Amino acid sequence: MTSTTEPVEVAGPGGGSSRRRGRRRWPLLLVFLLPALVLYTVFIVYPLVSALQYSFFDWTGTRQDGFAGLANFRDLFTKYPLSEQVWRALAHNCVFFIGTMLIQTTGGLLLATLLHRSRRGKRFLQTAYVLPHLVSPIVAGYLWSLMLNPQFGAVNAALRGIGLGSLAQPWRGDPHLALPVAIVINAWQWVGFPMLLFAAALAGIPEEYHEAARVDGASAWKSFWRVTFPLLTPVLGIVTVLTFIGNFNILDLIYALQGSKGNPAYSTDVLGLLFYRTAFENPDANAIGQSSALAVCMFILIFGISAVANRFFRRMEARLK
Amino acid sequence: MRKFCTVITALGVVLAAPACAPSTKSGGDKVTLTVLSWRPEDTAGYAKIFAPFEKSHPKVKVKFKPIKNTEYLTVLPTELKKATGGPDVVQLKPYGPIQSLISAGNLAPLDGQVDVSKWDPTVLQAAKGKQDGKLYGVPYAMQTLSVLYNKKIFADQQIQPPTTWAQFIADCDKLKKAGITPLSTSGLQPWVLAIDHQIFGATRYGGDDFAKAAVAGQKNFTDPDYTASLDVTAKLKPYYPDKVTAVDYPDAQTLFTSGKAAMYPGGSYEVGPFTKTNPDLQIGSFDAPPAPGAKVNHALTSGFVDGSYGVNAHSEHKTEAMELIKWMATPEFGQLYANTLKQISAVPGVTPGDPLLAQTYQGFKTHGATYMMVVDFGYGNPLGRDQEGEALQKMLGGTSAADAGKLVQKGISAWFKPSGG
Repeated sequence: MTSTTEPVEVAGPGGGSSRRRGRRRWPLLLVFLLPALVLYTVFIVYPLVSALQYSFFDWTGTRQDGFAGLANFRDLFTKYPLSEQVWRALAHNCVFFIGTMLIQTTGGLLLATLLHRSRRGKRFLQTAYVLPHLVSPIVAGYLWSLMLNPQFGAVNAALRGIGLGSLAQPWRGDPHLALPVAIVINAWQWVGFPMLLFAAALAGIPEEYHEAARVDGASAWKSFWRVTFPLLTPVLGIVTVLTFIGNFNILDLIYALQGSKGNPAYSTDVLGLLFYRTAFENPDANAIGQSSALAVCMFILIFGISAVANRFFRRMEARLK
Repeated sequence: MRKFCTVITALGVVLAAPACAPSTKSGGDKVTLTVLSWRPEDTAGYAKIFAPFEKSHPKVKVKFKPIKNTEYLTVLPTELKKATGGPDVVQLKPYGPIQSLISAGNLAPLDGQVDVSKWDPTVLQAAKGKQDGKLYGVPYAMQTLSVLYNKKIFADQQIQPPTTWAQFIADCDKLKKAGITPLSTSGLQPWVLAIDHQIFGATRYGGDDFAKAAVAGQKNFTDPDYTASLDVTAKLKPYYPDKVTAVDYPDAQTLFTSGKAAMYPGGSYEVGPFTKTNPDLQIGSFDAPPAPGAKVNHALTSGFVDGSYGVNAHSEHKTEAMELIKWMATPEFGQLYANTLKQISAVPGVTPGDPLLAQTYQGFKTHGATYMMVVDFGYGNPLGRDQEGEALQKMLGGTSAADAGKLVQKGISAWFKPSGG
């Protein structure tokens, strides 16, 4: 224990040249990094590498058999029902992402802009919008499934109460409604996150820019589109990439709302659910091989698109400067 | 800093301490058998059930270790893979889902170890390897499928359990007019719809005769009798709860136990939980009358094996585990199980203590049918039950019966090879 305290004293004020100090600091830095590094290796790197290895083998239950080459990947795209489910789930993920960008990100920007100007109740409203964020998606999904319940739920009861009974819907049970409903619930839960990021970015834009625009005769709307919005590009990039990663990995909320089969009739099935089912509810003996192949595909897709999107937004940012 | 390190060290010691603590070794040379199960709600019941075994085997202690049912199937393969310290006896799903455990060598074969000479082969089928034909589990319970009804509502509305389809529909209309949901069910869960189909449609498609023909490859699921049976189930929509496609399984249960719905097409496994939720509920049971155009001209009670108990191939106490499994095939266990947990024991000769279960079990024995989609078509991806449920969900949304039949056929033919060429 004493050895870890030593470098701190050395590294204190007047502790020699910066290079020597840096070298001496290493053991200490390592000690601080080690717990995170170990956790990261054990829980992120190791599963990633092992999933990759699993995906190239044939499995009988939990017993690893011979090398399968790309057969598991081929199964994903040629073997019914997987061949149908993979594309359907991917399409649902895309719809989910687009829907979320439209509702959640736009909503977050709107709230941030409105709150930026407001003088009263700003703190309270900000907290209120972020609050659902603190609830576990499983709990949120369960709560909403109670509220949307056609027999005992609050939503349809409220609609009937105000004479809008004709609008009462089987929210979770209509194949055309189930996915949009999930998108809205997800947006309800996470809207606070883009709002906070946008709010921080808005606060960082000097007031002079707006003043200059106003002097030049720009309307508020024009000033927002020509001055504020371009300056928000970096944040928009981060929000888009994070939303993409979150949406393509989504599992918990949909599982809580619609179960592992993406009810009704797979209309809310997403890649995360499909992976869960392929791994744990699959009567096929080769469940581990197939699900690992799917996990690898998901990783490549998400990682690849995120990397490309990141570059794109970096360039936009650079152009801004 | 020093203080910080001391705190961290102390924390480390505290966290590490339990890991170093001696594991589950029991005193003396007493052996503790771990029984893994997906029924936390039965913990107290199993303590009672295993007590006589522990008495007659003083050196064995049975530890019932339940895991949440939604997580059980993800935990079980990992537990069985452990070289040491895994469970000794495990609860197993019936038919298809155990096959990958069997082919991976996770379970010990029981042939020659357990006396099952008096057992019905169709019951044992639930715990056999599809490929090697060996027995890997001792079935513990049978489930029957029928229409459960609220006796008080039937009496108030002056309705008798129907014996013809026309009477059944007339009763449903009468109940609906009185503001009571006639049939409570969940349209959101595909497996519930598949059970509805077995209850209402089995007579229409022809029961076991159709199942045998389908297994042999002489008929498939685009057969007009089968698609008509799907139609029978979907056409009951006006009598299901309002917006049935969004009604979840617990909602359907609540509608029935709270007295808002008069009938509940379901299994014998519901009787225990229903009576627990509402002890005043008087439940009766009847078989759905033959549907219009039925191929079987009398009512059918469908049934299937609920599951079995098997021995972990890597059990460290295999001899004792085998002793326990042997005992679980005896009428002594069967009767204790039936009485304590209010279930239908799979052990031959054991009668359920509960009169309602005794009635449905008797029905299964005299005019039974197998739950085709689980018993015969539950061995590949997609499971017959799931595919049929999906097809029915689509029908509730307007898809035609013929298209639904094609969907079922497409799913099952993805893995099923007919036995008759």
